[in-house]
Amino acid sequence: MKKLLLSMILTFGLISFAFAQSKVISGKVTSGTSGPIPGVSVFVKGSPANITQSDATGYYKLTVPNEAKTLVFSFIGYTTIELPINGTTVNANLKEENTTLSDVVVVGYGTQNKRDVSGSVASVKSKDLENLPVTSFEQALQGKAAGVQISAQNGKLGQGITVRVRGAASVTAGSEPLYIVDGIPITSGNFSSTSSPTSALADLNTNDIESIEVLKDASASAIYGARASNGVVLITTKQGKSGKTLIQFNALGGISTPSNHREFLNAEQYVQLMRRAGQGAANQDFLNGDYTTLQEALDDYSTIVENRLNRYSAGNNDYQTYKVNTNWERESYQDNPVTQQYDLNLTGGTEKTKFYIGGQVLDQNGIIVGNSYKRYSGRLNLTNKATDFLEVGVNLNFSNSINNRLSNDNAFSSPLQSVALSPITPFIDPRSGLISGTLPGAATNYPVYYNPFIGIENAAYKATVYRTIGKAFANVNIAKGLKFSTDFSIDNLNQNEESYYGSLTFRNTGTSNGDGQNISTFVINANTNNFFSYNTTAGKSTFDAILGTSYQKSTTKSSNIEGQDFPSDAYVKLGSAATKVIALSSESAFSFLSYFFRANYKYNNRYLVGLSVRADGSSRFGANHRYGYFPAGSVAWIASEEDFLKSSETISLLKLRASYGLTGNAEIGNYSARGLFAGTGAYGGIAGQIPSQIANPDLTWEKTKQLDLGFDFGLLKNRITGTFDFYQKNTTDLLLDVRIPQTTGFGIKTQNLGALKNNGFELGINTENFVGAFKWSTAITGAINNNKITNLGGQILNSNEINAAVEGQPIGVFYLPEYAGVNPANGDALYYLNTVDPNTGNINRGTTTNINEAARIFAGNPNPKYTFGLNNTFSYQNFDLTVFFQGVSGNKIFNAGGQYMSANGSNGYDNQTVDQMQYWNKPGDITSVPEPRLGYGNGVGNSTRYLSDGNYVRLKTLTLGYTFPASVLTKIKLSKLRLYATAQNLATITGYKGWDPEVNADHQSTNINQGVDFYSAPQPRVISFGINIGL
Amino acid sequence: MKKTYKYTLLFASALLSVATSCRKALEISPVNTIEQGKALLSSKDVEAALVGSYSALGSRNLYGGRPFLMADFLANTDAIEWYGTYAELTQTINKSLLKTNTFVNNIWADSYSAINDANNVLAAIDKVDATKKNKVEGEAKFIRGSVYFDLVRLFGKAYNDGSPSTNPGVPIVLSPTTNITDGSYVSRANVAAVYAQAIADLTDAEAKLPATNGFFATKFAAAGMLARLYLQMGNYAAAGAAANRVITSGNYNLTSTFISAFPKMPEPGNSGQPADNTKEDVFAIQVRTLTGFNGYNEFYASPTYGGRGDAVISKDWIDLTYSNDDDRINAFYDDGDMFTSKFGNQYGNVPIIRLAEMYLIRAECNVRLAPAAPIGGQTPLQDLAVIRSRAGLTTTTATLIDILTERKLELAFEGFALHDAKRTQTNIGSIPWNANQLVFPIPQIEIDANKNIVQNPGY
Repeated sequence: MKKLLLSMILTFGLISFAFAQSKVISGKVTSGTSGPIPGVSVFVKGSPANITQSDATGYYKLTVPNEAKTLVFSFIGYTTIELPINGTTVNANLKEENTTLSDVVVVGYGTQNKRDVSGSVASVKSKDLENLPVTSFEQALQGKAAGVQISAQNGKLGQGITVRVRGAASVTAGSEPLYIVDGIPITSGNFSSTSSPTSALADLNTNDIESIEVLKDASASAIYGARASNGVVLITTKQGKSGKTLIQFNALGGISTPSNHREFLNAEQYVQLMRRAGQGAANQDFLNGDYTTLQEALDDYSTIVENRLNRYSAGNNDYQTYKVNTNWERESYQDNPVTQQYDLNLTGGTEKTKFYIGGQVLDQNGIIVGNSYKRYSGRLNLTNKATDFLEVGVNLNFSNSINNRLSNDNAFSSPLQSVALSPITPFIDPRSGLISGTLPGAATNYPVYYNPFIGIENAAYKATVYRTIGKAFANVNIAKGLKFSTDFSIDNLNQNEESYYGSLTFRNTGTSNGDGQNISTFVINANTNNFFSYNTTAGKSTFDAILGTSYQKSTTKSSNIEGQDFPSDAYVKLGSAATKVIALSSESAFSFLSYFFRANYKYNNRYLVGLSVRADGSSRFGANHRYGYFPAGSVAWIASEEDFLKSSETISLLKLRASYGLTGNAEIGNYSARGLFAGTGAYGGIAGQIPSQIANPDLTWEKTKQLDLGFDFGLLKNRITGTFDFYQKNTTDLLLDVRIPQTTGFGIKTQNLGALKNNGFELGINTENFVGAFKWSTAITGAINNNKITNLGGQILNSNEINAAVEGQPIGVFYLPEYAGVNPANGDALYYLNTVDPNTGNINRGTTTNINEAARIFAGNPNPKYTFGLNNTFSYQNFDLTVFFQGVSGNKIFNAGGQYMSANGSNGYDNQTVDQMQYWNKPGDITSVPEPRLGYGNGVGNSTRYLSDGNYVRLKTLTLGYTFPASVLTKIKLSKLRLYATAQNLATITGYKGWDPEVNADHQSTNINQGVDFYSAPQPRVISFGINIGL
Repeated sequence: MKKTYKYTLLFASALLSVATSCRKALEISPVNTIEQGKALLSSKDVEAALVGSYSALGSRNLYGGRPFLMADFLANTDAIEWYGTYAELTQTINKSLLKTNTFVNNIWADSYSAINDANNVLAAIDKVDATKKNKVEGEAKFIRGSVYFDLVRLFGKAYNDGSPSTNPGVPIVLSPTTNITDGSYVSRANVAAVYAQAIADLTDAEAKLPATNGFFATKFAAAGMLARLYLQMGNYAAAGAAANRVITSGNYNLTSTFISAFPKMPEPGNSGQPADNTKEDVFAIQVRTLTGFNGYNEFYASPTYGGRGDAVISKDWIDLTYSNDDDRINAFYDDGDMFTSKFGNQYGNVPIIRLAEMYLIRAECNVRLAPAAPIGGQTPLQDLAVIRSRAGLTTTTATLIDILTERKLELAFEGFALHDAKRTQTNIGSIPWNANQLVFPIPQIEIDANKNIVQNPGY
């Protein structure tokens, strides 16, 4: 009816003009700071269809009915104003919206005006997170919160993502932040049964998120006590709004391609290098005295190499003419994998009842063959004012995800490991017409390794997750300013991982008749928060406080069965397996009982004092130390409120902040404090028990004392706003797995031992560069973090022989022999001795060919010292453009696959990266690639040879959008229509020569083992197109 | 007023519900595992801990096979061709072990964990029912004594190399660890002391163990281990006597064919199946589909038979070593390369002591001692003939060289090569029998964790 009315008005618009039953209003729209504003929507109140826009000079003209009384002026970034129609001229002076100042930020157990926050909180709003083709919200957060370093391990879908707030604060205990969604600590972390992690956070729909706050300093985070040392991430989901129900539909579709390729030898180069490697090895054998003449050695090796080349060429001599030239790297990628994402959201309600309903279907195909991720999710956030003093509500989130996963980076069955296969090997074996290496045939020695593409058709690994997070809550207004809040929540995660490896994957599994596995994981995480909050204002004093308690218990149960010997590959369920090889179930639980208090006092709108304390008890800790207390305090001064600055034209805000406090880290095993026996000592079919863990009844939390000094500023009427922080985090009593003499029967004991420091600076700047018709705003985040281990009790933790944790160095420091290049005389790989003379302290810079004689050096930091993001947003008329760069600097990357793929043909028949063609060939050659010597491992040991710079700048997101103007929308009866194109990872500038500088091989990732590449897939470049429709 | 009453009721019930749930809020007991204080309370508990000790003994890093396999690799000259990618074994076959070698560390760690398991049993022995007490104690001591013997001959200098009473052996720990104290930071005892400990344990075990005990250790398993140990020390009288006790027990017989002394290989395309010990097994580690691990199979078997196919047996070596009429030449199979058939069953038990070894020990001791009446009343020629006739060979002489050669033919790849070379002072290729590189390094991480441990020379 309304719409009919509107069209009638439109239809009669001209007529009414002709009959002069209307009048023409004109005027100019300006702003105090920026003069005339073009593009302002001007319409008659109550008739939004009767609309025009100001022109380039701010001038507008609108024909209105005679009875029209009020005009509305509306423009993004300005406060909407209404002006009465008096006469025919109405000039408008718009005021800029001071969103940065009036913003509300979410803090633990409540919200605060941004202006009143005295701690360090990074806040990212939905507009910076929405409508990106990402699996998990952390990817959208990357580079947008200063001091929050986010890095993906590789380009596989649904994989774990490393998040560090102000550096790693632990060596062997968990370093991931605590995640709180709408007030409840949700189940996060990794539940993958393989060593390559997944993330339980991927069950959340990024488009449901209203804001993400990262609590960084002690005063903000200490309200989460024993689990706050690694930072706290508060996620707030979208809430209903009273008014007309807004229905929004978003669709996005895109194509992914690898963001980079790595080039390997072609057939001709491969044959040349392998033959040369045979000659190199022959020469060495001859020099060793294994042959009497060089020619004999050369002849022997020639026979060996040609036989192998013949074998890898599918048993023919095609390799001699380079007839087959397979590019295995390219074969590892899917053709045009499609990503699709559909969202339907309804927001609405009345004054009494408000709701948000969100639903999403996400269907992503990964760049690597066989990799895909699907998620169906829904959310209902509902609140109801039951009485004038009681508000109740529920938040309900459910999702189902299906991840078709790939093998770990270090598995032969990982598709990208196919780059080790020979370019002379045909993809399809002409002898069988099947994928090379498929049985029947010489499956054990052709091709060089197990061909991972056999697994694409004959194996599957599917992880299915059902997740429900439900919360019921009530807020009771007891008296003026006094409120009681209570909630109860259950976060339930059900995961099933199912895999089947068919009989044709025999070379990989070693099992002739199929291998199936089924692993179920069930996590039930219950939480309740109950707290009072109070606020009052008296004269110039404002006071608020909370006091409450929370209890959380989380239980994880899992079962794992594996069977082998299936009648045929048509049977994939374990009931058909003749042999059961694994059958186990397990259960583990932890609980936290906590009491918390916080008070904030503000005087005269300019002096702020905050104080908080939390008492945390945990089942995880030793009987002697079950409770801990975590106090923090902060002060702030809003100097710009003082008389001497109040009138300043330049400075609109200046706030100085300081905070100090104590937080903890409790991320260790649930029973690490106890001396345990396990029933895993069965032998010969008879049950047995064995001691499994040494006791430590004194075990307690890791303690972090953090100082934060910062200031917030606003210049030129807040067209430039910013925040700056310096912090110092000192972590002591590290929860450390300390090596003990193995003669005790145990290897490690979890102890509170050691210390480390993180200090650094963070900067966030937002500027409005142009505010006229052409708008340009910039957001910069930057952070510097210095991490140093100060005490590990003299231990060197160095499990992968690449990264180390050692006193005086940052965590994960590369600890490697130093490569000295190639001896021009004979092609030997050389290493610096770097041994220290015990008497003089001099370092011996002599060289050796024996890598074991070379002392290891601290060769670089895998964790970036500098992280930054630069977001530029432009808009003109109906177009908007976002250009977001993100980058890191000061870190190094180690290619652990180098010893196989960049081994100058000296380590077997693996195909080599193209740079290996610069090998040393004859005396006098100057090169850094040693002489190829088949099987001699010339220069292939882990050394700085495979270490390179890891800094990068990446065009992370580029989005161009067009929003249809109101004039069009009314015709098509929509409230919003936007078309956009967005590109992820479009361009990267990096010093790293591998696939992708954003890497850490998934199978080996720990706090210490960082910055290691091992056949890891690059990030996808996703180019997608989307549409937002509002009804 | 009415409102206030309602609130009070609401909060009271809310707080009450929290308070009641809090009482035991932090008491969460592990369920996959149990607290050590609840583990060893009854006879059944201690017997279960004994079974646990066997499972530790059967670890792939212990009697599952790796220490024997690595010893053979160190002694290898031309029998084994290594195609594997494990750097730990590449170092071993190249006789250039690094002190960071994780296989070496795993052997050290798992040995002491088996010792700690046995120590737990022995410390709680009074809880065991009187009828079983001797048996349980004997088994625990068999495990502990055997492990000390293997530790000292891998990580210490050979008994016959210099002075065993000053050469460092390995630390001796005889009580269970329940807490880390200053006493946990032990030093290495000398080689002779470790041998003495192993002898004491094994002797006590032999005295207390029953003659039959299923697949668990028996009186004769302990005697067999003692025979091996005394032979290593060069105490031929004791070795011969111990071997004789095993042979004359009558509990064991040589299998009719050589290959049937080992777990049966499956038909190609099928996976192996667990089976009972053969009648020749004096002691064997039990492998089932879900427990135990055949550490020989892992490297010596071709992929068709569940292994990695990394350790190939040289065709030339086979042809040079075995005569064509020796049935043992058939204990190899061709699967692209040559592999030994001894370990062709992934789920086959791991033979630790076979009766054949006892005949060879008794024969050797009788040759060396040349007593008026041979130990056991059987001449070396008779004993040697027992072994050779099964292989289809006739026996005309039984010199020391004949017997040592026969050990190579009969016991190849079963972990004897290095220790035989050391006790007979036979160089390995050009490497002297007592070279530093033929002794395992003490793991670097053990030295890092315990300053009281000294490294072996050469590392």
